[in-house]
Amino acid sequence: MIFQCGDLDRALEHPELMPDARAHAETCARCREQLYLWAEISRVAPRLHQEWESPYLWTRIRADLEAAAPPRRAPVWRWAIAAAAVVLLAGALLRPWRATTHDFLTEEAFEQVQQAESAYAKSIDNLTRIAGPGLERSPAPLASAYREKLLVLDSEIAELKAAADRNRYNTYLQTELASLYREKQKTLQDWLEHAKRNSPSSN
Amino acid sequence: MVGAGRLTLTIPMPSADYASEADLLAACRRRDLRAFERLYQAHSSRLKSVAFHILGHRQDAEDAVQETFLKLYRAVDGFQGQSGIGTWLCRILINVCYDLARKRKREADPEDYGLESRPAPPRELALKVALDAALRRVHPKHRMVFLLFEVEGMRHSEIASILEIPEGTSKAWLFEAKKELKRMLTERRS
Repeated sequence: MIFQCGDLDRALEHPELMPDARAHAETCARCREQLYLWAEISRVAPRLHQEWESPYLWTRIRADLEAAAPPRRAPVWRWAIAAAAVVLLAGALLRPWRATTHDFLTEEAFEQVQQAESAYAKSIDNLTRIAGPGLERSPAPLASAYREKLLVLDSEIAELKAAADRNRYNTYLQTELASLYREKQKTLQDWLEHAKRNSPSSN
Repeated sequence: MVGAGRLTLTIPMPSADYASEADLLAACRRRDLRAFERLYQAHSSRLKSVAFHILGHRQDAEDAVQETFLKLYRAVDGFQGQSGIGTWLCRILINVCYDLARKRKREADPEDYGLESRPAPPRELALKVALDAALRRVHPKHRMVFLLFEVEGMRHSEIASILEIPEGTSKAWLFEAKKELKRMLTERRS
C-alpha cells in the first residue's frame, strides 16, 4: 500500500494500518507530529483527573441521607399485640352493656330464675291440688269459666316454657312466663276465695 | 495501548465488610449508612472529577456528588443490578450535573480548575493546559466519552452502560473526540 498523508486519520481509526502510517511518518514531519500528538493526548489525559480533599463532604451527605430516612415501622408482632389489647379492652368494656341491652341472662342469673320458677311452679301446683277438686266438681257457670281460663293459662304456660327452654337466657320469655304463673296463681286464689264465700260453713 | 490497565467500576470494593457487590447493594437497600459510606469511599474521587469537568467548579462538583448520593439513597430499591453500582452512580451523577449546569449556567472560572500542584515538565504542563482548554470545545457527547475513557479510565462497556449507548458508539465518539482534539492542538501549535 502506498500510504499518503490523507490516509492518516483512517489509520488512527484502524490499528491494522498503523505500521504503514509509522513507516510513512519516518519521512513525513507533518504526519510524525500528528502521530506524536495522538499518542500524547492519551498519555496526558489521565492527568486531567481532578483530585482534591473534601473533608466535610461525607458529613454533608450523611446528614442528607439521615434526613431522607423513611420513618421506622413497628414490627408486625407489635401491631399484633396492640390489636389483641384493643380487642380485649373492647370486650371488657362492652360486656356489661351487652348483658343489659340485649336482655340476655348470665349463667348465674339464669340459675336463680330457674330455682325461683321451680319453687313458684311447685307452690302453684299445691294451690291447684287444694282448689282443683272443688272446681272440677262445681256445676256453676262461674266454675266452668275458671276451668276454661286455667286450661288456657296452662296451655300458654306450656308453650312459653318450651320457648324459654330453647332460649334459656332470654329474660323477656322468663318474665312472660312468670307473669302467666302469677295469673294462674291469682285465678286459683280468686276461685278459692269465691268457693270460701259460697260454702255453707262461711254463713 | 488504550484500554490497557482500565479501572473497573464494579468489585472489588475497598473493604472486606461486604463480600460482594450484591451484599453491598443489599445493605444499601436496608438503608445501612455504612454501605453508602463504602460507596462514597470507593467512588467519590472519580465522581468529583467527572462532575468538575462538567461543571467547572469544585464546589458545584461536590454539590453534585452530594445530590447523587441522595438520589441513590431514594432510588436504590428500584435498581435492578443490570450494571455495577459504580456505573449507576456515574449515570446519576452525569444527569445531576446536567441539571445543575442548566440551573446555574455559570461560565467556568479558569482559576477554579485548580491545576495540580505536582511538578511537571514545562512542555507537558503546556500540553495539559492546552488539552484541558481544547477539551472544553469538543462536542459534549464526544467529550464525555473521552473524559470517562481517557481521563477516568473506564471501559467502553461501562461507558456504554452509563450513557446508554452501544459500545461501538462509545468507541466511535472517542475517536471523534481525539480527532477534534488533535486538530485543535495542531492549529494551536501552528
